[in-house]
Amino acid sequence: MWRSVVALAAGLATVAAAHAQDVEIPKTPGWELIMRCVICHSVEIAVQQRFGPQGWSETLDRMIKYGAPIPPEDKAQLMTYLLRHYRDPNGR
Amino acid sequence: MSHETEATLSRRGFLIATGAALATTTLRPAPTAGQTPPPVPGKEKLIVRSSRPLNLEARVTDLTAYHTPESVFFVRNNYDAAPVDLAQWSLKIEGEVDGPVVLRLDDLKKLPAFTQDVTLECAGNGRSFHQPRASGIQWEHGAVGTQQFKGVRLADVLALARLRPGAQHVAFDGFDKPPTPQAPDFIRSVPLWKALAPHTMLALEMGGQPISHLHGGPVRAIVPGFVGSASVKWLERIMALTEEFNGFYMKSNYTAPRVDNDKEVYSLQSLEVKSIIVSPAEGAKLAPGRVTAWGWAWAGEGELTGIDVSTDGGKTWTAGKFVGTWDRYSWRKWEHAWDAAAGSHTIMARATDSLGRVQPTSRASNRLGYRWNVIHAVKVDVA
Repeated sequence: MWRSVVALAAGLATVAAAHAQDVEIPKTPGWELIMRCVICHSVEIAVQQRFGPQGWSETLDRMIKYGAPIPPEDKAQLMTYLLRHYRDPNGR
Repeated sequence: MSHETEATLSRRGFLIATGAALATTTLRPAPTAGQTPPPVPGKEKLIVRSSRPLNLEARVTDLTAYHTPESVFFVRNNYDAAPVDLAQWSLKIEGEVDGPVVLRLDDLKKLPAFTQDVTLECAGNGRSFHQPRASGIQWEHGAVGTQQFKGVRLADVLALARLRPGAQHVAFDGFDKPPTPQAPDFIRSVPLWKALAPHTMLALEMGGQPISHLHGGPVRAIVPGFVGSASVKWLERIMALTEEFNGFYMKSNYTAPRVDNDKEVYSLQSLEVKSIIVSPAEGAKLAPGRVTAWGWAWAGEGELTGIDVSTDGGKTWTAGKFVGTWDRYSWRKWEHAWDAAAGSHTIMARATDSLGRVQPTSRASNRLGYRWNVIHAVKVDVA
């Protein structure tokens, strides 16, 4: 499936990266994967959420279903990043 | 954008699934760097919960007027929309009808118009207070506002297309579109009884002016008493249906667990019975003596029957009173005069309605964070 997606033009990367700067996010490993989210929505939408592992996994799966370009090998790294900074200790 | 980021993206072969997604990134200018998103012109007083799609929330202390000024009226978008050329705009009425019609603005203006004051509240208002945290925009108290709307009855518009007997629901579709082809379109439906109710409107004006693009112009559905998402913005298509619209925003989002069977969900309709305290503000320092606490209360499909106020954190309650103007589906101002003695106090307000509903002291969290109408409390110091 991932072979079928279109390689990104440099111009889009510029737009997406600018959107990632809507709010500052911690620059720990995996942070740049947030660029995949900000193609469709501003970064605040993601970083105001707080979930446990199941909640973040389901959220990412839904976004992937809607077209977010997050191949399986990157989902795990994005999960690690999100759970490091945006985890609800009481959440699923 | 840093060179490091550019290199990282290039190395990773940053990908995008569709050209449609690319197009949506240009709807709004790229914000500048900073700790918070930039304010929206004309909406500088609002808290930016999300810049794309745009979601803006009022501070409760700015909700001081019965008619909420547009400058502090909340904005809730599931998707953004590009402004439309009025000359190009039209509205299709189709589905379970004998005579589908396409209407332009002038056609709507020929129908009998009426005005009403309506309180709009996002179904997720208060979501941030749920524990554990719920999914969605993390609203506090300010995704609510009241304005005067002018428009035509949806019933009159549906009559032009001649509903078939099988029509039982009416769906609204706006010209906002999702950023990818895979994501669901924002379409909401209401049952026929509500679509034909005399208050349900296609609004052309808000606050005496043509509805601004930010608030859904040129034509927006106004479904008084229902959760805000029923009042679909930027209308371009209305569909008569035999059943509730079978889409994400009816069957998944804007649903809550049934009270009688929490394994199943229902699509939200009426707003809850609810009140907010506008004054005093949280953390206010007051002088001893007479203080008038006040705020707003509303009840969706219910009608308010009372407002009780506590100044001792809920140990004792006294009847407050409703004051000022109001409409069938608008909020009502309430107030309560109180002789404040020195010390710390917690003021609470609790509304009741004609459906027998009372604001609760707690609310079980639900996955999507709806139905937050827990009693609002503010702490003040009197010295």
